[in-house]
Amino acid sequence: MPLDVDVEVGRGARTIAVAFAVEDGETVALLGPNGAGKTSALEAIAGIADATGRVTLNGRSLMGVPPERRGIGVAFQDGVLFPKLSVLENVAFPLRAAGAGRDDARDEARAVLRDVAPTVDDAGRPTTLSGGERQRVALARALAAKPAVLLLDEPFAAVDAEAKPELRAMLRQTLASFPGPRVLVTHDPVEAMTLADRLVLLEDGRVTQAGTPEEVRRRPATRYAAELVGTNLFTGELVPDEEGVGLLRTGSGELTVVWPDRIAVAPVPDVRATLSPAEIALHTEEPHGSARNVFHGAVEEVATVGGRARVRLRTAPPLVAEITPGSAERLGIVPGREVWASCKAVEIRLMVPGEEPDTL
Amino acid sequence: MHRRLPLSFVVLGVIGAAFVALPVVGLALRAPWGRIVEILTGPGARTALRLSLEVSLLATLCSVVFGVPLAWILARGRFRGRAVVRALVILPLVLPPVVAGVGLLQALGRRGIVGSWLERVAGIQLTFTTAGAVVAATFVSIPLVVLSAEAGFRSLDPRFERAAAVLGAKPGYTLRRVVLPMVAPQLVAGAVLAWARALGEFGATITFAGNLEGRTQTVPLAVFQTLQTDQEGAIALSLVLVLLSICVLVALRDRITGTG
Repeated sequence: MPLDVDVEVGRGARTIAVAFAVEDGETVALLGPNGAGKTSALEAIAGIADATGRVTLNGRSLMGVPPERRGIGVAFQDGVLFPKLSVLENVAFPLRAAGAGRDDARDEARAVLRDVAPTVDDAGRPTTLSGGERQRVALARALAAKPAVLLLDEPFAAVDAEAKPELRAMLRQTLASFPGPRVLVTHDPVEAMTLADRLVLLEDGRVTQAGTPEEVRRRPATRYAAELVGTNLFTGELVPDEEGVGLLRTGSGELTVVWPDRIAVAPVPDVRATLSPAEIALHTEEPHGSARNVFHGAVEEVATVGGRARVRLRTAPPLVAEITPGSAERLGIVPGREVWASCKAVEIRLMVPGEEPDTL
Repeated sequence: MHRRLPLSFVVLGVIGAAFVALPVVGLALRAPWGRIVEILTGPGARTALRLSLEVSLLATLCSVVFGVPLAWILARGRFRGRAVVRALVILPLVLPPVVAGVGLLQALGRRGIVGSWLERVAGIQLTFTTAGAVVAATFVSIPLVVLSAEAGFRSLDPRFERAAAVLGAKPGYTLRRVVLPMVAPQLVAGAVLAWARALGEFGATITFAGNLEGRTQTVPLAVFQTLQTDQEGAIALSLVLVLLSICVLVALRDRITGTG
């Protein structure tokens, strides 16, 4: 693999051990709770943390190579922009450090800023920028160095909720056009799943699971993973039903959902919806209640993860429900058993194209 | 907000303030205002003023040139005995200046451990020269640069240096373009304090460099000598130093008084 990492980093009494690899043109998200060691792993790759083990880039070992000669681009959390330099000088910094003349460096920096941060005043000081703007300038500065690898450390950490969708769209575009390995460090599953091709889950300094978002969603290995990504996700066309209610027509079945007020024109294609497994109730007989969504099907699989029973159902659409192991036993939930699953329309959260969800 | 203070405290405090203020008032009241310009532009005073300016500025320059790298090492280096080095560097602040002068004589005097060698090999003699006055002034003022710069370096978030390294900057380039601009206020404060200290330096200078008009006789030394024969002339020269000290206080007022 172009970027191959297998390192141990000491952090006080704790040791963080992380191993993963990234292909050219692939984005891997290091996903984990705060304090899991994500940033330490990133610092080990960049060469600014004392690490033992192995970091290779295109077959060449980077261990012992000083950070300034590694060719790793990092967009740091909060930017870490140099306060005494203008925005333009910040972006030109890596070019000047590499020996470029002042005017050449500035021209090139301007070109990068035009792509990544077109609305930012490049003559201003970085201290006057918003969180989202700082992040854009930090990304521009990292890209200006023409690195072989791009690392993003919590790019949304200091960004207002309103600024996130636009920043996310820009990041997606920038990542897609970056040819080398890309690593995204984040604690936010939405960022990870919308931007990354593969996830590496980090908990308490250890990798607990690695795989595509779909693989992790299907088989979360830990309680954290299950909470993080073990959500039902649907994609389909949204059509109006009765007053205030809509139908989400997926390729494998329909869901009744609350019609979003902000949508006037119907039908809406490519609508994504999420449903937390914990919001799904299981019944051994057909339920008659307020729940608008009732599905019937056989139990495909039951897995107990972190004190919860995750039940995979062969319904239309397929569902994952989460109940306590006690309930599973009481209801006799075993593979092959025919059950009914129900949930209320209000529990299904819609993600309309052009808008972004807060959480999955 | 009104707070009642015991009367005895008020009295003692007023005496304290008056004690500090009175000498300055005395200088101002007894100053020969009528011929002050004449005195200060006279040949003796002009020579001392020019020499003081020259010596104090050179001493400040030396303090910055050697003190800032030293401060960097103390702030960022990890080595055994760092506390000892720091204590040694600060020592001139608390050492009686005359002792500093005696020490300098043993080190850099004509028969000093380094001085004898300097004279034999390079033909350089520091005692009784302007260079010697600069050495004496540097000795007492360098701790002020080191202390202030080290505080500046310590307060700097190390993430800036790491970011610069990741962006391809070698340590020297990072220092020049990122670190020094960020600690500039502390460097300037240290340099101004060092300059003020160098300007007032007396004991180490007279012990090590002597009191030679035009070569080592800076304003404080001139004040001391003039006082024996011409009190008004000494007062006039003293007022120049008072004025410069007040300028330093104004320049550093936030830093020294701790209030806006």
